[in-house]
Amino acid sequence: MSFSDDRIGQGHWTSLRSEDAAQLDAILKEFLTVSGAKCALLVDKDGYLVTQQGEAFSFNHDTISALVAGGYGATKEIARLLGEDEFSVLFHQGKRESIQLTLVSDRVLLTVIFDDQTTLGLVRLYASEAAKKLGEVITRLDETTTSPAGHSIGEGFAQNAKDRLDNLFR
Amino acid sequence: MQINFARREIACKIVYYGPGMSGKTTNLEVLHAKTPKENKGELTCIATEGDRTLFFDFMPLNLGNIRGMNTKFQLYTVPGQVYYNSTRKLVLRGVDGVIFVADSSPDKMDENIESLRNLEDNLRDYGRDIDSVSIIIQYNKRDRPDAVDVKILNDKINKRGYPWFEAVATDGTGVFDSLKSLAGQVIQKLELHSAGIEGADKNGATGSPDRGHVAPRASAPSANPAASRSGSSAPTGRTAAASTPKPARQEAARPAASSSPRKSAPATRRPAASARPQPGATTKAPGGRQASGGVATKAAPKTAPKTATRPAKARTQPVRRTTKTSAPAAKSSSSWVMPTMIVVAVLAAAGAAWKFFL
Repeated sequence: MSFSDDRIGQGHWTSLRSEDAAQLDAILKEFLTVSGAKCALLVDKDGYLVTQQGEAFSFNHDTISALVAGGYGATKEIARLLGEDEFSVLFHQGKRESIQLTLVSDRVLLTVIFDDQTTLGLVRLYASEAAKKLGEVITRLDETTTSPAGHSIGEGFAQNAKDRLDNLFR
Repeated sequence: MQINFARREIACKIVYYGPGMSGKTTNLEVLHAKTPKENKGELTCIATEGDRTLFFDFMPLNLGNIRGMNTKFQLYTVPGQVYYNSTRKLVLRGVDGVIFVADSSPDKMDENIESLRNLEDNLRDYGRDIDSVSIIIQYNKRDRPDAVDVKILNDKINKRGYPWFEAVATDGTGVFDSLKSLAGQVIQKLELHSAGIEGADKNGATGSPDRGHVAPRASAPSANPAASRSGSSAPTGRTAAASTPKPARQEAARPAASSSPRKSAPATRRPAASARPQPGATTKAPGGRQASGGVATKAAPKTAPKTATRPAKARTQPVRRTTKTSAPAAKSSSSWVMPTMIVVAVLAAAGAAWKFFL
């Protein structure tokens, strides 16, 4: 298991293996079933999508992840002005779709998209429970992983990527 | 950087940093315009009504499947104005590489210096070692008649000896080279770190090498050593370009070798296209930004979001199967046993009580 978020000398890395993602996905699925929400995404504070369950939307997941993380970071400044460290829950209401963000383990944001098929109260209640479970899993993964072991991407990856870039902007 | 074996994705964060109006958003707009639609998502700009970046601009760039991993770059810009430092710092969180876009105008020298210092301060605040973060400098607006000589810019701004490029972002000159150089450094670091780590993920990157898009050109680091060496003493882009005008396309197509110049030996690009001075074109982006404030998503083809989403979805499918067959499956079988035992126990107790009353 390795939901690790380490600084390995040269930088800041987050990595997630398939078996670890399965644990997170199971919690998200259960949450969607009981809450009636449409989609649940786990987005880390750097703006990367960790995993996602539920209805597939046409929006680009990279973009929404970046915006969610950015928006959350901005409100952190507001919280600071109020003397809070950060807000643990954010809610944006739309005419049809709404979105709620719940901070998990100070690391990732449980991002829930829902419509009028359910209620804010239900989503908030079950999101709180799900966040607790997700936090336990992430903490457990952190404790069992002190380094990003098992993340070999293979020799020649860099050269392949560079060639691809060259080809892209020829 | 995120290595997500579950989604079979590698994502790196690259930030365009620099003083206000130096051309950061223009870099992204040009990249967005030139990137094939299957390799890009929408360009999202959160701008003020005055057409200045308020929060950040964002563009996902997808290189596609490389050795079984969908490889992406997330390109951000920051607002350049001094008073938006909180936002700049926020965008820098988890950054893998920075393209510092400096303005070549003589009256912008102090702003360039201050902005680079601000970048280094913000990185330090995140606990990052400055020397460990991949940074390159792009001297933009080289087509200005009064552009400061690159040697002077290097002396005053680039004291750490970062790799540098000359650019005219409005016509694309130097834009692609800058990105390729930085992305190459970031990817190289990824491979170096990953190479020292044992025990590959069983469900992870085991795909066969994707050779479908390997560039046919050789890309040896020494492909253009003379140009690299001449950097610090080179004439200005204007002068050089005037004597050897080349299409910008050729410039962008230079070997990837230049993509990973060493910090100790700054590489250079003498932008051929800067041979064509374009007064007045330096600060206006091609196509222009949306005039109104708020979030503006650039005109990406409708298929772009889908193409960016579908592969990811497809890659997540195996993961979901994994989900069903692992721990949760065992949990669901045990969850049937317990209620059954409870029901049997209750029935037995009820039977005993019934007998007792009889």
